[in-house]
Amino acid sequence: MLSTLQPPRSLSLRRFQTSKLIVSSASSSVTSPPQSQILTTRRSLLSGETTVSEIAKSYLSRIRLTEPQLKCFLHVSENVLKDAQEIDQRIAKGEELGPLAGVIIGVKDNICTQGMPSTAASRILEHYRPPFDATVIKKIKDLGGIVVGKTNMDEFGMGSTTEASAFQVTVNPWDLTRVPGGSSGGSAAAVAARQCMVSLGSDTGGSVRQPASFCGVVGLKPTYGRVSRFGLMAYASSLDVIGCFGSTVADAGMLLHAVSGYDRFDSTSSKQDVPEFQSQFLSVDHFESKPLKGVKVGIIRETLEDGVDSGVRSATQEAASHLEALGCILTEVSLPSFSLGLPAYYVIASSESSSNLSRYDGVRYGNQVMAEELNKLYECSRGEGFGGEVKMRILMGTYALSAGYYDAYYKRAQQVRTLIQKDFKAALEQNDILISPAAPSAAYKIGEKKDDPLAMYAGDIMTVNVNLAGLPAMVLPCGLVEGGPLGLPVGLQMIGAAFDEAKLLKVGHIFEQTLKGSSFVPPLLANIA
Amino acid sequence: MASRALLAVISASPNRCFISSSWIKIQSSSSSSSLSLHLQRHSRKIQLIGRSYSSETKSSEFQPPDVSSLAETARISLTPAEVEECETKIRRVIDWFGQLQQVDVNSVEPSIRAEMEGGNLREDAPETFENSESIRASIPSFEEAYLKVPKILNKE
Repeated sequence: MLSTLQPPRSLSLRRFQTSKLIVSSASSSVTSPPQSQILTTRRSLLSGETTVSEIAKSYLSRIRLTEPQLKCFLHVSENVLKDAQEIDQRIAKGEELGPLAGVIIGVKDNICTQGMPSTAASRILEHYRPPFDATVIKKIKDLGGIVVGKTNMDEFGMGSTTEASAFQVTVNPWDLTRVPGGSSGGSAAAVAARQCMVSLGSDTGGSVRQPASFCGVVGLKPTYGRVSRFGLMAYASSLDVIGCFGSTVADAGMLLHAVSGYDRFDSTSSKQDVPEFQSQFLSVDHFESKPLKGVKVGIIRETLEDGVDSGVRSATQEAASHLEALGCILTEVSLPSFSLGLPAYYVIASSESSSNLSRYDGVRYGNQVMAEELNKLYECSRGEGFGGEVKMRILMGTYALSAGYYDAYYKRAQQVRTLIQKDFKAALEQNDILISPAAPSAAYKIGEKKDDPLAMYAGDIMTVNVNLAGLPAMVLPCGLVEGGPLGLPVGLQMIGAAFDEAKLLKVGHIFEQTLKGSSFVPPLLANIA
Repeated sequence: MASRALLAVISASPNRCFISSSWIKIQSSSSSSSLSLHLQRHSRKIQLIGRSYSSETKSSEFQPPDVSSLAETARISLTPAEVEECETKIRRVIDWFGQLQQVDVNSVEPSIRAEMEGGNLREDAPETFENSESIRASIPSFEEAYLKVPKILNKE
């Protein structure tokens, strides 16, 4: 089977670097910059070099080969080859190709896909097949993308390791004893392992950015309101966004462009124009000598203090130096309200989730535990259907919203949110983007944080403030730290002003294309074809 | 420094019993020193959840979470083992939330969500959904035009 696995020419697997562990982005050998899989696929299809069916078969093979170890997918679509054939027929007829034609896409299981199971990794939705597609799925299909399957996650988005899935634990392709991060761990790991080209996740408190960092891929969180949430199973409605994973900044950006835009079915959806992102993705050959000259970058002081691993701190400082070498002007900024973000976030998220998850009552959909009395039916269906972390957060939220407590907790957290928004606004008036590590450490061992909720929550410190402020942010791999067979990736987080994804993508793309160092391909893939 | 206080909580009336008679161990630490207990005895009910309760209640006057009552409000059944496990964890987290009480939020407006344009409501006009059959297929107990559920018993 191994010998017959023929990756299409559009997918180039680089040999994984076997050089010694590095703690910085500099390395012994130079590798060519990563290529956009979406653009490479498009070129191969237009030139007739390959077909969508061949591409699809190759990805399905890789999934079959790697899934027993990785467990990224809760469901693999039965229609992949049929979808691929349809697009091939359209190509043969000379029809115009959509921008995502032939692109193989993984989708986090809290995003509704018609006719395909959508469980949010919860037993309460174990056999649920939605009657409709989320708006983002409809857009993907209209543009020629192929949904290859639904990826594993922490139940209802509540978690930071993907261990809280009711069904399986996804492992990190960089080290099979470690977590991929969460809650979009399956989507991140699937892209890292090249089981799909790009994937969709959701980000409420860092659930796209942190797994991107842990898995060595690009994770892009748009501005709140940029992407429709219609069809995303709500966790915390004022914080949730749908985000994109790719192996390059360009891929994440092009997927984001495809799914962005106003949607009348989402009242929080923004009417702001979606700029053409593609113009940001120039080839490295066309870069000037200081391609980011004059770009003002603020490094957030509070993110480099105690509690951050020394390897992460070094990698972030090296990344800052790299930006300086590209022409950026680096200054240190302070966000005084920074440390308040974590408790404020958890108050708001658990409060809103206690309301949002009240719809899972076993009556209209999902698993039902029959009882003699209605309240008992609710209690038993929910008691048996929800996992431990979900139950805990619902109860915390119920407490925080109780009469007499609402002002002290929820309202107060909303006031802290205002303070955080003000701090970011002030910092972004002085700077084009802000940077920080994506997480205080690289990926944890499986089981390491499971029993201590506060230790688990502490890992979100770098990401939650961005959700409270509704800003766009992107994480891209910037270095490796010690751990695993050949190092563990860490990501740099870049934060932009509201609706300024274009700037993030420009800076991120240039950073990535000029970064000299190991290619971010996990060791698992070196053993395949 | 942590100090402990043992307190008795007495149920006000058998019918509207929000807290059962039990000893509740309270731990107050310096990080949540502003949280002090406000105990009512006998004639006044201690209300954890629901009902009208003065919104002018000082933030220092609230009870630690009673997981069994919260579970009843949230309509989630928990085994005794789950209640015990949950209780420890939830109390630690709620304690940790207490640091928000230290923040000066005087004259700070609460933000419901990120700043964004308002008025994005669509017309309240019903539209037929084509695929109603697949909605029906998801319903666990369906009997022509009705979702079937068991009877509701009023608690007395």
